[in-house]
Amino acid sequence: MSYRISEGGGNYEYVNARVRSRRAKLFDEDDYRKLVRMGPGEIARFMEESEYETEMNALGSRFSGVDLIEYALTRNMAKHFEDLLRWAEGDLYDHIARYLRKFDAWNAKTALRGVYSGASRADVEDDLIRAGEFSDRFLDQLAEATSVEQIVELLDGTIFDERLEAASEEYEATDVLVPLENAIDYAFYERLMAGLPAGSDRAEELYVEFLRAEIDFRNVRNALRLARSGAELDPAEYYIEGGRLFDAAELQQLAGNVDELVARIRESRYADELEDALAELEDADNLIGFDHALDVALLEYSDTLSNRYPLSVCPVLAYVLAKEREVENIRAVARGREAGLSTEEIEEELVIL
Amino acid sequence: MLEAIDLANVVLQTEGGPALSENGAAAIAVGLGALGTGYAQSRIGAAAVGAVAEDDEMFVPGLIFTALPETLIIIAFVTIFLVG
Repeated sequence: MSYRISEGGGNYEYVNARVRSRRAKLFDEDDYRKLVRMGPGEIARFMEESEYETEMNALGSRFSGVDLIEYALTRNMAKHFEDLLRWAEGDLYDHIARYLRKFDAWNAKTALRGVYSGASRADVEDDLIRAGEFSDRFLDQLAEATSVEQIVELLDGTIFDERLEAASEEYEATDVLVPLENAIDYAFYERLMAGLPAGSDRAEELYVEFLRAEIDFRNVRNALRLARSGAELDPAEYYIEGGRLFDAAELQQLAGNVDELVARIRESRYADELEDALAELEDADNLIGFDHALDVALLEYSDTLSNRYPLSVCPVLAYVLAKEREVENIRAVARGREAGLSTEEIEEELVIL
Repeated sequence: MLEAIDLANVVLQTEGGPALSENGAAAIAVGLGALGTGYAQSRIGAAAVGAVAEDDEMFVPGLIFTALPETLIIIAFVTIFLVG
């Protein structure tokens, strides 16, 4: 059985050995504790002595301060994710590539937001993450675009094509970016699992298991945000297909009532993982805390899956998640220090496993 | 059914000795041991190379783990001396 996975599916042993090694090199709690007490300059020096050395040196002459840190972070992340694709073969490659399209979605959204908010080209380029399927040239074109329509046109022919076309009418009518952003997310999640041979082998099952968890968590987050904000929006519109926790109709019902929603999650298969997150929500009535607790829960769940099934796609996806968290954490620390936040405030912003 | 049993009787009774000599059986044992070793080493080796690529210090542990399945074939090898 496992023989079939490794033969037909790809080089799980090799990729997982490398990924686990890289995973171990991510910053741990002690590193964060040190980082939180540093100024931007010290953080930069700390990073120079770590994993980020190459990027820091390459970019050091052009940028400085927090910008340098951010550039180095995203570039390093992109490098690592490209590596994953370079190593992987067969089904494993396919699974990783599907997942990394999330950076295509991110880049497309960044470009849209940049144009919408009137940000300069350089600012948009800062935030692009060159890790997905889009080529460098295409990303440059996206950053250069000067209108929302132009970007929609550029994305013609990508996986976001159909959804965007439908949404751009709504955008023109309302002049709000949300429908376009949702269209991109939708298209991404649609393609995540579409075309997978249903339940054909263990590797695929695990991949789907993992993605379902992520989609469920995202639905929970959306539902709670809607419930809390009390906005007059149709929750079903923000529902992402493919999860297992609830369907669109249920979500619509539950989004009106936080208590019911929480009770529903408590009964679900994620009850154990989300216990802390829910407690956070009930005690502090604090949505940011809940958000972070959800992130931690997803990280923990991905770790559980990857420990339970070492020779599968799960360790790779768990690494991708962990790396993203690290980048976000360091950015939060650097930005927080720059803005003069206190150590406690920054620590609250961190998501540490 | 009856015919099958008849056939089996004929096959089993016509030749006197065992179908496989002792040496032949030993050879199969060694061969199967070698296959098992090869299968185990192919996967461990791939993982070991990955680990070494990330971190040079993993070379020695990687080598040890890659060589561990050798015990299979070495023990299978003993049968040759037991039989012969």
